[in-house]
Parts: sequence; structure tokens; C-alpha cells
Amino acid sequence: MSDEEDHRMFQNDEDVEDAPGAEEDVEQGDEEMNDVPNKSQSSRRDHGEDGGPEEGEEEEDDDDDDDVDGEDDDEAPGRKARKRAKHRHKRSAVSRFLDIEAEVSEEEEEEEEEEEFGAEGFITNENEVDDEVTRRNHALLDTTRHFEEEDMRSPEEIARAVARRHRDRAVPYTGDMNEIPQRLLMPSVHDASLWQVRVKPGRERDIVFSLMRKAIDVEFTARPLNILSAFQRDSLPGMIYVEARSSKQVQDACNGLVGVYPSRGIQLVPIEEMASLLQIKKKETTLVPGTWVRIRRGKYVGDLAQVMDLTDTGEDVGLRLIPRIDLNPRDEAALDAQGKKRKKGVSGPGAVRPPQRLFNYEEILKVYGRKNVTKRNMAYVFQNDTYKDGFLEKDFKASALITEDVNPTLDEITQFTRRQDGGDDNIVNLSAIAEASRKAAIAVLQPGDHIEVFEGEQAGVHGVVDEIAGDIVTITAQGLDLDGQKMEIPARSVRKRFKPGDHVKVMAGQNADETGLVVSVSDNVVTFVSDMSMQEISVFSKDLREAAEVGSGSNIVGNYELYDLVQLDAQTVGVIFKTERDSFRVLDQNGQVRLVQPHQIAMRRDSSKAIATDSEGHELRINDNVKEIDGEGRKGGVLHTHQAYFAFLHNRDITENGGVFVTRTRSLASLAPKGNVIKPGADLSKMNPALVAPSGGMVGSGAMGRGPRDRDIGTTVMVVKGAHKGYVGTIKDTNGSIARVELRTGNKLIMIEKEKLYRRYPDGRLEKLSHAPKGQGGPRGNTNPYHGFAAPSGGRTPFNVGKTPNPYSGDSRTPAWNASSRTPNPYGDSRTPAWNASSRTPNPYAADGGRTPAWNVSSRTPNPHATGANASAVGAAGGAGGWGGATPGRTTGGWQTPGRPTAPTSSAWGAPSNGWSPPRPTAGGDPWNSSWGAPTPAAAPTPGLHGGPTPAYGQTPAYGAPTPAAVTPGVFGGSSYSQNTQQKMVILDDNWIFDKTLVNYLQRLKIRVVNTKGDQYLGGDYENETGRIMAAQENPGVFQQTARVRLDKTGEERSIQAQYIRPQLPKYMEEVVVVLTSKDQEARKGLVLVVRDHPDYSGKEDPGDGSTVPVVVSSKATPADIDQVFASTIVPLYEEVL
Amino acid sequence: MAAIPPLARSKNLRACLLCSLIQVPNEFKKSGCPNCEEILQMKGSADRIATCTTTQFDGVIAVIDPDQSWVAKWQRTAKYVRGMYAVRVNGRIPEDVELELERRNIKYRPRDQSDQD
Repeated sequence: MSDEEDHRMFQNDEDVEDAPGAEEDVEQGDEEMNDVPNKSQSSRRDHGEDGGPEEGEEEEDDDDDDDVDGEDDDEAPGRKARKRAKHRHKRSAVSRFLDIEAEVSEEEEEEEEEEEFGAEGFITNENEVDDEVTRRNHALLDTTRHFEEEDMRSPEEIARAVARRHRDRAVPYTGDMNEIPQRLLMPSVHDASLWQVRVKPGRERDIVFSLMRKAIDVEFTARPLNILSAFQRDSLPGMIYVEARSSKQVQDACNGLVGVYPSRGIQLVPIEEMASLLQIKKKETTLVPGTWVRIRRGKYVGDLAQVMDLTDTGEDVGLRLIPRIDLNPRDEAALDAQGKKRKKGVSGPGAVRPPQRLFNYEEILKVYGRKNVTKRNMAYVFQNDTYKDGFLEKDFKASALITEDVNPTLDEITQFTRRQDGGDDNIVNLSAIAEASRKAAIAVLQPGDHIEVFEGEQAGVHGVVDEIAGDIVTITAQGLDLDGQKMEIPARSVRKRFKPGDHVKVMAGQNADETGLVVSVSDNVVTFVSDMSMQEISVFSKDLREAAEVGSGSNIVGNYELYDLVQLDAQTVGVIFKTERDSFRVLDQNGQVRLVQPHQIAMRRDSSKAIATDSEGHELRINDNVKEIDGEGRKGGVLHTHQAYFAFLHNRDITENGGVFVTRTRSLASLAPKGNVIKPGADLSKMNPALVAPSGGMVGSGAMGRGPRDRDIGTTVMVVKGAHKGYVGTIKDTNGSIARVELRTGNKLIMIEKEKLYRRYPDGRLEKLSHAPKGQGGPRGNTNPYHGFAAPSGGRTPFNVGKTPNPYSGDSRTPAWNASSRTPNPYGDSRTPAWNASSRTPNPYAADGGRTPAWNVSSRTPNPHATGANASAVGAAGGAGGWGGATPGRTTGGWQTPGRPTAPTSSAWGAPSNGWSPPRPTAGGDPWNSSWGAPTPAAAPTPGLHGGPTPAYGQTPAYGAPTPAAVTPGVFGGSSYSQNTQQKMVILDDNWIFDKTLVNYLQRLKIRVVNTKGDQYLGGDYENETGRIMAAQENPGVFQQTARVRLDKTGEERSIQAQYIRPQLPKYMEEVVVVLTSKDQEARKGLVLVVRDHPDYSGKEDPGDGSTVPVVVSSKATPADIDQVFASTIVPLYEEVL
Repeated sequence: MAAIPPLARSKNLRACLLCSLIQVPNEFKKSGCPNCEEILQMKGSADRIATCTTTQFDGVIAVIDPDQSWVAKWQRTAKYVRGMYAVRVNGRIPEDVELELERRNIKYRPRDQSDQD
């Protein structure tokens, strides 16, 4: 049927209905008592019929009913029949009203009718019948009684009674169905079905209303709606449910309604799901004052607010929130007194939401003028809103609030508390905040935690958590009465307990990973002094955990690390001085502290190339210890320099900004006097004929004197992953983890992650970039450009170099690296450990401490040991940094901190001439190269350089020593620079006692204290004291490594910094020793051996560290299997175990 | 037949706490609740309307044929007039009405679905 037809039909129906409508009006006039039953009554009538006298109508109706009945019996399914059936029921539903209105005299007829009903039994709904019958009987009795009484009463009384009767029984509320349990109301197969209909989301309610109106409108037309009901649930958007016998009826009903999509399917709701549709219940969150909520929409969308008060119905909620007042209204019109325009502007599209800001009377006055703000007892009224204590107090509809999953953050809550600290109205206090996050508190409890019960019967009890089961925590109580008693406590009633002095770590929140000592505890707020910043930090006890560890966890966020120099924008660079969970605190060159997210950092800057000079014109290098000559006179180590003008210094004693500060380079002076400045013009290499040839054009070339940005630069690599897999190229540049690689094929430059690159050796071997290139040896080895060849060819003699006059021709491995290797500048290398993945000292600055004193050794007391008769002292001097500057074996891999050990060594050596001072790198480089290239040991290379007959010269013959390479005693100092001796000697790093192979022997190690004199460590009083280690624990990061040492002489126990602890040398036969390192790789490391022959230290060459003294050893198990090792590679042990 | 509110969107639709019928406040004032006027007596009394009806309801049912509808039966509105009913109504009737129901031995069933047996 077309819509048009339908419409016409609909019209006709309406026309027809007009008549009864009018008639109804008339009737309404007659019976004003109750229009509802009246309406029903009129609607009950067949529209074709005249509104006759009531009795007649009754009768007719009865006839109708009979007819209907008959039809029903015949099971004629016509629309009319159903309609009539409906009408009949309608009538029965309202018939109770008819009793009242019916005249008493018709009682008999009624009775008959009643009988008829009963006799024929056509009423299917028995419930209804019973109901009907009893009701009617009651009515009958009633009326009879009234009849009897009537005679005795005056007409007035009767009238009153009637009036009363009518009033009372207008619509008697019976609640008759309320007794039936809900489960008995479950739908049965006889009930009509529910059909799900898709509608336009948001229009559900309108459509249900439309269906109702439509049903009423077309009720008496030829085509009434055949649906029984329709409903909608707020929690089921986009659909309504229609109750009908068939989907066709639903379709018809929905036809013509806007926003209904019957085409998207009218789906039957399974009978078992029908009830649940009506039972859906929104999870209720009861709002009480103090609850946190969020605003659902409008200007404050998403903002946290606190409930101040509620109306009884819970419809309106008084909230307190942080206002967002636009302090920069866009135009003058916005200043309208009404503020209407402005309001529009704020909510309009494109308008920027003003930031959250507490109400400030003065500010508002300035912007909006005095007349817009009024003060009303304690509160300000501005644009119809009330502001009190800086907060906006406003009523919101409950429906406009988000009450679930509010999860207020501590930041947000502190915004609320901050202002209220001084105020009288302390609705928000810290306990309220704790309340808000209490749920979370349960999750953070762990067995073993110390807790206290703060509420409930057991309040005050404290103990240790045994187990947690759901919300119940079993604790073992501690204390006087209850000690040891187990009890179960609701998890929300306990909180973690800390006492001053506890060492804690923050597990969550802004201060996550901070550690420190608790200084005060008040309820659930714990204040501790951070280990890192030395500042007091207050956190919730729930976020804390007892922890022994020290430090601030990871110092790395993203690609950036603590103390990195980073580019913030074109003009600004800064140094990261604090890492937070996902952000940094950066001190920029202007001294401003910024909170920076990793993505805001353009790049990391490498200032190792940067050149800056201090106030005296000396070059400033990273890690220099310098002092301000003006201003505050602060001291610190140079972290970075920027544009030759700014220097970022670090001093741990300064608490502000994590010890980092920025100053001008021009106002800095080196703390270490550099004296003996060699004129820059003096090219020392030229003095050494041996060096001139090999280093050739490299001298004075740009590469001289500069450390590489990244030693990977220049490395030949192969791409092992990604689109360029298999390509070979050379690293041209690196930035963080990204390398720029020039491919050999196609002459193409690509940017690629370094992790996808493997170093490629000429023989095709591949190796991870993070590994140090094999054969490179220690950094000092780089002074020898030939080491690469010397090594494989068994560079027993330095003359091998002659075979390969051009170091670069064949050594495609790391030319750039080699280039840099010309740079004898210890500073260049001192950076290396930071780059070295295998470095054991994660923080370059910690290790820094190890190096610096060594420097001081040389600077303050120019070579006290080298020139002294005490050879061992020389060894000690060298050992301070690297213990003996033994050859960093190519295969031992024991050169983890190469820069460190060698630097001091070199300084000790170069002390007389100070040839190693940074501004003169070439000068420093040459002596070694020259000693290297010395054709004969006797030819002391450029004696002037070395300034004196230091013992080193005595050792140079070692180069030519005819002893087999394996046992060639390494030359102290010299050997540390020569890579071509194959002996494997150990470079001990400062933390050698923490070596994992020594763990079991730690307390048996015979050690001595060395190198303290130069540093004035403990006044040098302990120099050369021997003793044993009582305890040592490796501390992470920036902390000085110390060990507890018992001194043999005095029996005194004290802590000594690890860097001053060196092994003793084996002294007698049968002494038990442990191998520190060995010639055949790491195999024997940690092995316990016995000295089989008396070690002879009388050899002239011995520099004191035993590196040249062979010791005969064998294992206890196989005494005959003797071996010779150097004294420096073993550590004697005490026999007895502590 | 109850008065069908003209606007479904209207913010001030109110649902009777006893029978869950939805009307605009004016209708309640004019003629009370067609189902429960006898006991709630809201006619003409704004106060009474405020305490016996609420805007806090969820879900709207168009009860077109109360007698036949299972929905109406489930909602226990089968004996009530045709009209718009709420599925769930927050709140309880005032205490005096509750007492009166008790006196009449009528079980009070709150419309907030708090007791479903």
C-alpha cells in the first residue's frame, strides 16, 4: 500500500472519529466526576453508534461481546474481531467505574449480565473474571447496603455520602498485583513478543512517545496499531523495543515515523531475554559530599570537581571546581555586562578553553572591571557564578556528571588542597585524598609489608602482612599484647607503615623511583629526604616501599640520558639534570629550568668537539674540574660547553638543579694547575725522527687533537636488518642511536638505527657495533696506528710497523678510529667508557673520581713516584687508574675502562714534561709513538720530552727483549701503550674487587692501599698499608665504591675507596693465589693456584706492580703442571677464611 | 487514559513513584495521577507532586494495551490506565503513603528495581 493511500486512509479514519470525539465532549459535560473512565468508556463505543442511553449501550455492548465471542470461537482471525476483543477487555478493565455510575435500579440487569458472563465462561483471563466478579459483588453488596440505609438518612446526608463515595473510590489504589512475585510474571509463550527496532541514537524516547500518540490517533480507524507497548532504555542507545504479535505489526507501527530504521532489521528478542531488558540497572554511584566527579560536557568537560552538597532528590549537585575564566576576552563586546556574547564566544567552535586557574579577584577586576564582580559574604559573584576561596561553586545536574572511573590524580587533588591549607573550609584534606585512592591502596599491599590498622576495632595495631585474599589481609600483629597473633583485617583499613629512618623507594606517581630516608610520618603522608636531590619529598605511604637500593632508578628516558646536552629549539640548548618518569628537567643555557618531554627535544648535542677556553686561555674539556673565578666561586666538573661561551658544570654538593649549573667559560679557571705550558708552536712530533715517517701527513691534520664524536664513525658496517639488509657501507655520522651510513653501492646515504648495523671486518666477520672492535686494544693503544697489524703479526717488536708503512692502506677496519687514535689526549678517551657498552661503571661521573686524583698526582707533585727509587710506587701511581697499565690484551677483553687507567699512567709518566696536558695533544701523543717507534731500546726517544731518566727508560729494552712474546714482561707504562706484546696482563679497573670471579675469595684477598698520597686521600696515612677486605658491596651509579678493609698493621677496620685498593704481590712459596686474568683468555680467571717458587722481585725492570715478574704456579690438584704467570695477574690470598 | 506529555525531550517530565506513570507536572497538578490519586492525592498540590514524583527515571514505556501487554504485566501496570510509564524510577514514596499502604495490607513495591523476587 502506498504512503498516499495510507495517508488518505488515516485521514478518513480521523474524520470518522470526529463524531465520537464530539460526543465525548458532551458527555464530559454531563459527568465531570472523572474524565478518565469516561474517556475509556467513550472510546469503548463503536464509533458508528450513536451515544444512546447508557443502559442501551450496555446491552448493545453485551451483544457485541457475544458476537465477538462467537467469532472467537470460530477462530475467525479478522482484524475486526481482534479489535472488538480488545474493546471488550477495555470495557472489563474499566467496568468497575461503570458500577459506580450505573444507576442502582439497573442492578438486576447487571446481575443477569454477570450470570451470562459466568455461564458462558467466555472470559479467557480467569484472574480478571474473578476480580471482576468479586468487585461486582462487592459493589452489589455496597449498593444494597446503601439502599437500606438510604431510607433512614436525610437527603443531605445521602448527598454527602455520595460525594464522599465518589471521591474515595475515584480510582481506588489496590496494588493488587504487587503480591505476585516477579518470577511468576516471566513471559510465557502466550505473551506477545518483543521486537528490537533500530532507531536514530538519541531519538529513542521521542520515538516511543510518537508510537504512543500514533496508537491513540489511529485507534479507531480502520487500521489501528496492533502493538501492545513500546519501550526504550537509556542504557541501550539506538534501539527501541516494541511488543507485538508479529514483526509485520511492528513494521506497520513504525511506518512513517522519522528516525526509525525498520530496514535495518526488526529482530525478535528471545523470550528469556525479555525480562532482562526491563531489568537493566545502571550501576549506581551514590554521591555524597566530598565525592570526586568529572564534568561531562561544557566548558569544564573532563575537569575534576568535588561534590559540596546535594538536593534531596539527587538531581542537582553543588560542585566545587577550579574555574576556567577567560582572562583575555577576545573583543570589547565580550565585556558586555550581560556577558552573553562572551559566553557564546567561549562555547563556540574554535574558542580556546581558558586554562584552569583559581579565581583571583584582582585579576578579574583588571580584565572585566569592577562592575562585573560583586562580593557577597565571603564569596564573589562574577557572571552569575559564585566563586569562593578561588573555586567556582556551581550547581550541576547529576546527569551532567561522570561519577564512575573518576580516578583523580594527585596533581588534580593537590590543586584543590593547595588553596585550602589556610582556609577554614577544610573539606578536602589529605585523608580525603587518600580516601579517593584507597582502592588503589589495596592493590599495592604485598606480603611482608609493614602495615598499621588505622580504623575499625583493631585500630592502632601494626604488624606484617602475611597474606592477601581479596579484600582481606591476614597480618601478624606486632606489639605488646597481640604480638605474634594473626588477624584478618579488611585491606582498606590498613595502610603501610613507615618510621623515620626507613629507607624507602617511591613506587608510583610523579616521584616514582626516588629513594630516600624517611624523616617524618604523619598519618599516611610520609616525608623523606631524597638520596638524589637531598630535598624533602612527601608522598602517600601507599606509594612507598621499603628498599635498600639507592639511586633514582633509570636515568634514561627515551634516547636521552641524565646530563645529556640537548637541543630544545634553535636558540636553546640545555642539560638534563633530572629525569622523571617520562619527562626531563632541563637547565638551559640561560639558567632557566624547563620541564621537557622527550619529543620536545630536537636532538642530543655532542659537545665533546666543542672548543672553549677558560679565563686563562686554557682549553676547557669535558670533565675538567673548574672553579668560577668570580660570582659565587662554585666548583664543578665540566659537563658540556656550548658555543664556547656557556659551560654546564656539575657539582654534587649543590642541591639546586641536581647540582648542574650554567656559567660562562670566561669566568672559569681550572682547578688543576697546568703549569709548564708548552708553546703551542712546538710540534713535538717533528723532534722525533722515528715518528715523522709513519704519521706523516696526519700530523697537524684536522683530525689531530680531536676525539671522535662517536668511535663508530668511519666503521665499515653491514646492514643486517630492514630494507637495506646485506648492504655494506661506512658510518659517516651518528646521532644517538641513528647512524648515517654511506653505502658502497649506489653511493647512497641512509639513516638507519645502529642496532641494525654490524661492524664488518675485512675478512668478512661481523660483529655487533656495541662491542668494542677486536684488536683495537685499549684506547691508549690507539696511539699506535699500527697496532692493528702488530697484533696479528705477533708484534713482538715494533719494527713490524715497517712492513706496513701506510697504516690505512690495509686497515679498512676503523680508519676514523685510528685517526682518532692519534689523539693521545686522555680526555678524548676518558669519554670512552661512557660509550663502551661493556663498561662496568655506568656513570661516567663516578668513574671520573677515579681519574681525577691521578691527574692530581701528576700535577701537584710532578711524578713523585716515577722518579723515586721506589719502583712499586710508580706502579702504584699507574695503578691508581689502571693498575699497572698492563697491556690491554686484545683478547682478554679486560679493558673495560681503558681511558681511566691509562690516563693516570700517562700522567705519571709524562709528568716531568707534562706532555699530556690536554691543550697539547700532539705533544702528548708523540712521546709514546716515539718510544714505540724507537728502533732500538737504547734510543731513548726525545729525552727532552720525558724530561728525565725515569725508570721507564729502563724498561724500553723490553721492546727488544728476546724473550718469547708470551712471557715478555710488559713494560710498565710503555706496555700499556704497546699493543704488540702478546702477554696478557690485566688492567685492573677501580672496581676490580667486585669482579664476579673474585666473589668467593673477596674476604681472603691480600690487598694494599696505594696511591693515596697523591690524592691526599685520608691524608695519605694509609699509603702502602696492607690488609684484607672485610666487606665490599658494589654500589650502583654515582656512588663511590668503597670496601671495608682491616689493616694488618693496626688491626683497624675502616672503609677505603675501591680505587685505592690494589692486590699485594705474591711473596713466598706455597702462597695461595687467585688468577685475576690470564694469558689464555678468561679460562683461568678466578682459578686458585699455589706459588711454587719464590717470586723474585729483584729484577731491575720491575716497576713495582709485578707485571714483569714471572711467578711459577700450579694448581693444588696437579702440582706438577706448573706454569709461569706474572705477579700482577694474580692476587695472593689469606689462607684462613674469616 | 493518562495525558501523554507533548514533548518527549522535556526536562521536567515526572514519574509517579508509586505507579511509574510519566506526565508533565501540570497534568499531575490538574488531575493527579490517574492510577494512584486516591492514595497519593497530588491534585493541586505542588509539594505533594514534588515528593511523590521524580525526574529521576530511566526508560520509557508506551503502554498501549495494558491488559494484553506482557511488558505492562511485568511492570505491574497492567491494571493501570494507558499512557507513558517509566521502566525504573529512583526513590521511594513518602513515609505516610507507605504507612497507608501497610494499613491497607498492600505490599509496596518500590519502582527502583531494588527488590526483585
